[in-house]
Amino acid sequence: MIPEPFEYHAPHSLAEATRLASELGEQAKLLAGGHSLLPMMKLRLAAPRHVIDLGHLQELRYIREAEEKIEIGALATHFQIESSALLNEKCPLLADTAREIGDPQVRNRGTLGGSLAHADPAGDWPAAMLALDAELQAVSAQGERWIAARDFFVGLMSTALAPGEILATIRVPTLPARSGDAYFKFRHPASGFAVVGAAVRVKLSEAGHIEQVAIGVTGVGAKAYRAADVERELVGKSPTARRLVEAAAHAADGVEPNADLFASAEYRHHLAAVYVRQALERALEKARA
Amino acid sequence: MKIEGSWKLAAPRETVFRQLMDPRFLARSLPGCEKLDPLPDGSYQATLKIGVGAMKGTYQGRVEIVDALPPESFRIKVEGKGAGGFVKGEGKISLTAENGETLLNYTGEAQVGGVIASVGQRMIQAAARQIVDQFFAAFSRTLLPSPASSTPSGGAGSPAS
Amino acid sequence: MSVKLLGERIKRKEDPRLIQGRGHYVDDLPLCNMLYLAFVRSPHAHAQIKSIQLEEARKMPGVGAIYTGKDLDGRLGLIPCAAGIEGLKIPDHPCLALGRVRYVGEPVAVVVANNRYQAADAAAKVEVDYNALPAVVDMDRAVAPSSPLVHESLGDNMAFVAKLEGGDWKAVEADASVKVLKQRLVNQRLAPLSMETRGVVASYSPGEDTLTVWSSTQIPHLLKTQLAVMTGTDEARVRVIAPEVGGAFGSKLNVYAEEGVACFVSRQFGQPVKWIESRRENLMATIHGRDQIDDLEIYYRPDGKVVGLKCRILADLGAYHQLLTPAIPTLTALMILGSYNIPAVFVETKGLFTNKMATDAYRGAGRPEATYIIERVMDLVALELKLDPVEIRLKNFPPPGKDIVLATGVSYDTDNYQKTLKKVLTLSSYKKLRREQARLRKKGKYLGIGLSTYVEICAMGPSSRMPAGGWESGTVRVEPTGKVTVLSGTSPHGQGEETSFAQIVAEELGVPYDDVTVYHGDTNQVPMGIGTFGSRTTAVGGTAIYLATQRIKRKMARLAAHKLGVKPGEMVFRDGKVEREDGSKSMKFAEVVGEAYFAKQLPSGVEPGLVENFVFEPPNYTYPFGAHVAVVEVDGETGEVSLRNYYAVDDCGRILNPMLVDGQIHGGLAQGIGQALWEEHVYDENGQLLTGTLMDCAVPKAHQLCWFETANTETRTPVNPLGVKGVGEAGTIGSTPAIVNAVIDALQPFGARHLDMPLKPEKVWRILKQGPAQAA
Repeated sequence: MIPEPFEYHAPHSLAEATRLASELGEQAKLLAGGHSLLPMMKLRLAAPRHVIDLGHLQELRYIREAEEKIEIGALATHFQIESSALLNEKCPLLADTAREIGDPQVRNRGTLGGSLAHADPAGDWPAAMLALDAELQAVSAQGERWIAARDFFVGLMSTALAPGEILATIRVPTLPARSGDAYFKFRHPASGFAVVGAAVRVKLSEAGHIEQVAIGVTGVGAKAYRAADVERELVGKSPTARRLVEAAAHAADGVEPNADLFASAEYRHHLAAVYVRQALERALEKARA
Repeated sequence: MKIEGSWKLAAPRETVFRQLMDPRFLARSLPGCEKLDPLPDGSYQATLKIGVGAMKGTYQGRVEIVDALPPESFRIKVEGKGAGGFVKGEGKISLTAENGETLLNYTGEAQVGGVIASVGQRMIQAAARQIVDQFFAAFSRTLLPSPASSTPSGGAGSPAS
Repeated sequence: MSVKLLGERIKRKEDPRLIQGRGHYVDDLPLCNMLYLAFVRSPHAHAQIKSIQLEEARKMPGVGAIYTGKDLDGRLGLIPCAAGIEGLKIPDHPCLALGRVRYVGEPVAVVVANNRYQAADAAAKVEVDYNALPAVVDMDRAVAPSSPLVHESLGDNMAFVAKLEGGDWKAVEADASVKVLKQRLVNQRLAPLSMETRGVVASYSPGEDTLTVWSSTQIPHLLKTQLAVMTGTDEARVRVIAPEVGGAFGSKLNVYAEEGVACFVSRQFGQPVKWIESRRENLMATIHGRDQIDDLEIYYRPDGKVVGLKCRILADLGAYHQLLTPAIPTLTALMILGSYNIPAVFVETKGLFTNKMATDAYRGAGRPEATYIIERVMDLVALELKLDPVEIRLKNFPPPGKDIVLATGVSYDTDNYQKTLKKVLTLSSYKKLRREQARLRKKGKYLGIGLSTYVEICAMGPSSRMPAGGWESGTVRVEPTGKVTVLSGTSPHGQGEETSFAQIVAEELGVPYDDVTVYHGDTNQVPMGIGTFGSRTTAVGGTAIYLATQRIKRKMARLAAHKLGVKPGEMVFRDGKVEREDGSKSMKFAEVVGEAYFAKQLPSGVEPGLVENFVFEPPNYTYPFGAHVAVVEVDGETGEVSLRNYYAVDDCGRILNPMLVDGQIHGGLAQGIGQALWEEHVYDENGQLLTGTLMDCAVPKAHQLCWFETANTETRTPVNPLGVKGVGEAGTIGSTPAIVNAVIDALQPFGARHLDMPLKPEKVWRILKQGPAQAA
């Protein structure tokens, strides 16, 4: 459990970090909380020549309100998010998701940005990002660009970030009126990762119909996705118990579910339907409250 | 581990077959291919830097094409090892002509050992699928100038469990 | 009156240092000029080693040497196996593979370097060329004549076949009312997974010609003997120290390749050598537990009386024998009748070689398998006859307090199974639970209630039945200041005997508890010993200390009586004094100690000093028993099982410290529940270990468990004067079948009869998916 030798860099500003990242390109990996990269390096499954430790970038640890949105620095830890009064009030989905991650030790070290950039197929955050239509800011020596969550997750542990780019900010909308959200997760008994995780944000019309609904699903496929078929079945409709069950049955449509020692593809498919429905029920309950 | 799937390629079957037999095209299509040298016995010696995300490793190995029936089918044998362990596999690729285009079906069996097998079981299938997809995506770009014309054929373009 | 210590909840002496991180484990040991080892291990389950290229690795910085199997051949002894079974095949087990590898993780070469980083980097540069061979993985296939062989020279994959037959089978066959039920049970492979992995420091001093070894072990004395033999060192010049050991669960009741290699390398270099196991190595190259397939034929009468049990056991031993590998499944046969008087038994045990890591002792070691079998048997028959699980157990228990020799030939020291069962039924409000279950079922909610009434064999054990002796040694030394030093040949590693041993001695001598210090684990300090395993430490080791203390008391009584002019038999020890019962003649404890050491007026024939040793040889094993009730809820949509209540009533004989007993029970329950619900160590069909990290290898965690309601009955054993039986494994043994029985009970509306462990949600969901049973 000892990594291959590597060169360690500890920039003190985002500008310095992007300069390093651009110089070193594909030879470098960025280190945030280290909960995914370091184990892979210790197993020698990842052997980057350079590691750029972002741990000193205090400028990326904030959570703040900006107009109708909330901006979160990529290095905010899961614990910061879980315990943020702002998020608990205005975007509870993020706080709820954070609470479901690992254990207190993991939440104290692990970061939102690190987890997103790693894009583990069973990571918790991608589901919430998709459900919130989050925007992700990539900064490089050449400038910055904003990437929509649905374009960010490209494949298994692959994102839209190019070599040299650093995920700096995550921007999410606050919870509108008559809205509710929820994250339901089936934890793997060993890893605590999501066998299936469903994040939902739903907005009701004054008449109590579903005006908007967004569902992010993680753990099921090679990458997190929006359960578009379920959303389509629900928009503009009255959320009866039966409709929820029927709609949620489409939670894994068009997805080739992962299969592993713990859960077959068929079972994951089933769990996706159950967890999407349960998350919907909870989000609706909150929207009505 | 079983790997199977299919791809639709926007070129005639003969062209597809010819290019699949051509190490120059293969070298350009194989993800992370650093070396693909023909050996006297007709097989190739390959060095691939392969993986997903941060998990990348260099693998040395041999690729051999056997039972070639132009332009219909061939079998491929792969053997490689690197720091992450070893991979040994055999697969069959068959080509069907469809209106001047080609439907490629692949099916194979791979044995993975070492670290990747013991720590990566939850992702290994998806990783294999992704790497195969990368290969065919790159390969289809070698067939035609427009990369948009080739796509995985729906849900079938991925390995079954 | 003296302060009462035995039976009290005394806080552990060990905890302040352990909780504050001030304990010292092997890896905390800094020595000058330390060299570090890294092992190159096989990625193949079965392969020929064609060649090993060391040139690149040798060029790496800091590398002192690299050894392969050939370099060690003839220079370092084989890994020992102590099991004695008739006809047992024992394949050569070299510390580094010779010519062939037989499991993933088998050490092939070792790199010696100046630090652990250099060692790891150089090990990665060792190139081994393998010729992969077909692997033997599946036990059913391993016995087939066409199977590849793990050891070709042995002719087949069968390490041994053992049979145990007893009772009157003719009577069973003659009884026309007897019905037969068949069932296969799979007891999956598990990783013992102690918090601290293995580790060893070997330090050979060429000047003194001594070899000192610090190892994370349960058996320092046995290890000392074995390492002396393996390395060809005069045993009197070998010292083994087990420092703080962070758990073991049986996995460190062994002699491992890495220990031998570290000693060898240290002797080569004349420098200390350290090796610390990584978690990955721990999962693949530390012994595994369980891994049995049990094919059962249950003979029972319509009234629920089980009259015969046949079991064919396939035991997966792995590729080589470790210290006790083949002995473990034979304990299953011995205990297969559990707490029931079943008049006829037949067990055939086949120990099989496969291309996997060796199995060996893991908490319970053979008895959890037995208990699982017999407790499932009871529920299977109950289900067949639509009897309550309580009823069937009562029907098959022997009457309490009668000495019975079971069909297996075993006779238990004490029994009163009715009593523990009754107590747990009250504790759990069993009848109320059944009513609640019926109510919930109507609402489509699935509550399961599971019972287990186990008996186990422990306090290992009489030397006649132990491979390396079953006695234990205890030494008590009263220092000139009156403080007391206790030396035990056992080697506790978390159990807390520093506390219970001090309780015994302090209470017996009437001195303050804090005045007693217990040492163990250093072979130069403790004259002789066996170690800690098989729930023996207090029952055997504690008894030795108790009896050594009696010797001290006799001597001190004699000294005091001599001084006071009374008879030694009149002396009592209390409140720091040695005095007559009525207090009329009295000496301070310290004054008597002074008599012994200043030696001015010793009675004739009495030696100066106060040190006594006792080696206790137990006349029999002990047989703790208990009754557990598990209450689970099954999620009707996902099949997920959650634990709602757990009630455990255990009888481990006399309780010296209820807090230690609770601790053992709680930890044991967690491990037993873990096996039932989550844990499995999985190899694929090619012999690759798939659960190679804690991402996949599911250890039970606190949040997955519920509050444990524990209680005890105390039936003292006549086997030792303390009356204690041992409790280290009881929780693990009792809980696994209780959980499985509970889940199957919850699934009755779906007609479930049996599911193999672990009861993963998907397995349960597949039962739910079939829908309600027609006849149920």
